[in-house]
Amino acid sequence: MSNALLSVTDLHASVEEKTILKGLNLTVNEGEVHAIMGPNGAGKSTLGYVLSGREGYEVNSGSAKLGEADLLDLDPEERAREGLFLAFQYPVEIPGVSNLEFLKAAVDAQREARGEEPLSSKDFLKQAREACKQVNLPADFLKRGVNEGFSGGEKKRNEIMQMLLLQPKLCILDESDSGLDIDALQVVAEGVNSQRDGKRSFVVVTHYQRLLDFIKPDFVHVLADGQIVKSGDASLALELEAQGYAWLQEQRARDAELLGEEHV
Amino acid sequence: MSTWLANAIVRGTDVSDWLSEKRQAALGKLKQQSWPNRKTEAWKYTPVSVIDRGAFSPAVNDVDANAAIDAIDNLDASALVFLNGRYCEALSCKTLPEGVSITSFHNASAAQKEWALAQFASVKPDRHLFGLINDVLAEDGLLIDVEPGVQVTTLLRVVNLFSEGIEAHSRILVRVGKGAKLAIAEEFTNSTPSLNTSFAEYVIEDNAELEHYRFALQTGSALSVGGGHFKLHDHSKLHSTLVGFGSQLSRVDVDIEHAGQHAYAEKNVVYLLDGKEIFDLHSTIEHAKPNGTTEENVRGIVADQAKVVFNGRIHIHRDAQKTLAELNNRNLLLSRKAEVNTKPELEIYADDVRCAHGATVAELDTKALYYLQSRGVSRQDAQIMLNFGFINELVDRMPNEALATWLRSKLKVRFAQMKVSSPQDALVNS
Ligand SMILES: Nc1ncnc2c1ncn2[C@@H]1O[C@H](COP(=O)(O)OP(=O)(O)OP(=O)(O)O)[C@@H](O)[C@H]1O
Ligand SMILES: [Mg+2]
Repeated sequence: MSNALLSVTDLHASVEEKTILKGLNLTVNEGEVHAIMGPNGAGKSTLGYVLSGREGYEVNSGSAKLGEADLLDLDPEERAREGLFLAFQYPVEIPGVSNLEFLKAAVDAQREARGEEPLSSKDFLKQAREACKQVNLPADFLKRGVNEGFSGGEKKRNEIMQMLLLQPKLCILDESDSGLDIDALQVVAEGVNSQRDGKRSFVVVTHYQRLLDFIKPDFVHVLADGQIVKSGDASLALELEAQGYAWLQEQRARDAELLGEEHV
Repeated sequence: MSTWLANAIVRGTDVSDWLSEKRQAALGKLKQQSWPNRKTEAWKYTPVSVIDRGAFSPAVNDVDANAAIDAIDNLDASALVFLNGRYCEALSCKTLPEGVSITSFHNASAAQKEWALAQFASVKPDRHLFGLINDVLAEDGLLIDVEPGVQVTTLLRVVNLFSEGIEAHSRILVRVGKGAKLAIAEEFTNSTPSLNTSFAEYVIEDNAELEHYRFALQTGSALSVGGGHFKLHDHSKLHSTLVGFGSQLSRVDVDIEHAGQHAYAEKNVVYLLDGKEIFDLHSTIEHAKPNGTTEENVRGIVADQAKVVFNGRIHIHRDAQKTLAELNNRNLLLSRKAEVNTKPELEIYADDVRCAHGATVAELDTKALYYLQSRGVSRQDAQIMLNFGFINELVDRMPNEALATWLRSKLKVRFAQMKVSSPQDALVNS
């Protein structure tokens, strides 16, 4: 029996008429941690946006399933309620909407979707305070506008805090490590590791091997030019760190040439 | 001509007290003014004919047992109550903060009359028609005088209560002495048919600080015309918040004069309008002296067939070098029939200044919408949150947290009523 949680098959997607994802395949089973690395502009964030249903990101073909649910048929909020969570590379500032009010609405909406009663304000506040503590954010961040005036590192920790509260099935972390100081990196990693329970899965997008020292991936993929071009185990990240992506691209060019010759 | 105005002039002739000289002067000016019509620039979009259609009787001093003052949690405040335009000691707070003298017009001492006479109609410009009417007809008012250097931490709540069918005119004169600090809120919340004018003149002396609120929350057929006029001396500070709901006639005139150098003024305005309500704000910032700073943020949500009028004038005089003045007006329209008439007026005669002025129809932030949805919040709820957040940003800036909490829940109630009549996707209508 397969226990695939996320299955992305031959996904093609574009933004403003520009094709970004060009036949992407990815399967993440329950409990696994997958790291995605790859050059700037390869389409890593685009994958997160397409899976979470951001407006303007057009799916041209292919499919994406989370468990039994066809993600691509759902509204963004329905995807979240199915258990998808994307920690943004660039979290949005929303002045005037308090972090607390927003999180309560999110938690209640997800509970309602599961047929559960909304949490009492008191219980919720308790959970929210605990989550803040876990990522080393002072509790008065809850009162502030969503990400309003947060430093880069605080925004990233705020994303992880939300993940802790929402308890998703699949977490996509888009460069949650960039812009973090060394201590914050550990805090984020510990936050993630505390959520590993054998069922919950993670897709960790990162440029640096460093994060993977703390969050041990089961698989490492290279996303280049809209496709997963290479997959391996944790050692692939080390190899990439040492050699960059150039060798991969050369290898691909050679493969393409060979393929071309065969056609003749 | 308006029969109401003619009648007011006759009544004004009869008022006789220690302010008579001032009243006579105002009466003279009033007689030269004409009743506004559509061609009157200051009243172009706001008809005043409703005043003549209503039948109002002058104030009687009956203590209405039902008159309730909104309780505000965790607020350190003293209530000062006007009942039908007259100061009502019975309903007002007995213990007042130290270092501030608070007296009604009727109980003023010779010394109080002296500064009051100097201040009466000196901060408020003569051009406001209803200001002149108030000069003539305001039989009662409050004199509030903060001694130099005194920091009053207790908020003064000036609560205005009205009986049905009443016409009332009241006045507030406030002097914040050198280096002193005061916080004051003027509250209007009635919806019963009535007419009131209420004008307040504030002098903020050198290094003094005023935290000011006007909650112009009258609705329905409660007609209200009022003004807040501020004179800022050297290094003084003003933080003022105006909140308006609309009614058949709801008009506020604001004047902020930088009469000293290095003064700082922050004015935030929020309005929420529904039905066929009107809210009309005319604000004028006068930078007469150098090195002054003004930040004015005006934001509102207009639903259904409601109408907002905002005229924002900034006047930087020749001597007012190094002035920093910013004014912005943003509106969110919830229906195609909602109307916004916004007019910026900039007059700059100094060359070394920084001045920005803008009016826009606010767009829904699609990135923020997606962010909220990506956490499981429905699109509709996310829109409501963002729309409310748009005005709440200015509520967040209120220095008094207890007051902000109270206001937020009042705004939420009103906002929730508004959304019923508004199609969620007809949000932006530029
Ligand atoms: N709204 C848009 N309009 C046009 N091009 C876009 C838009 N959004 C993304 N792109 C382009 O899509 C490509 C992929 O972007 P994406 O953000 O997915 O890259 P990434 O792999 O996450 O890169 P990085 O490592 O720098 O974060 C880039 O070339 C980018 O410029
Ligand atoms: Mg990216």
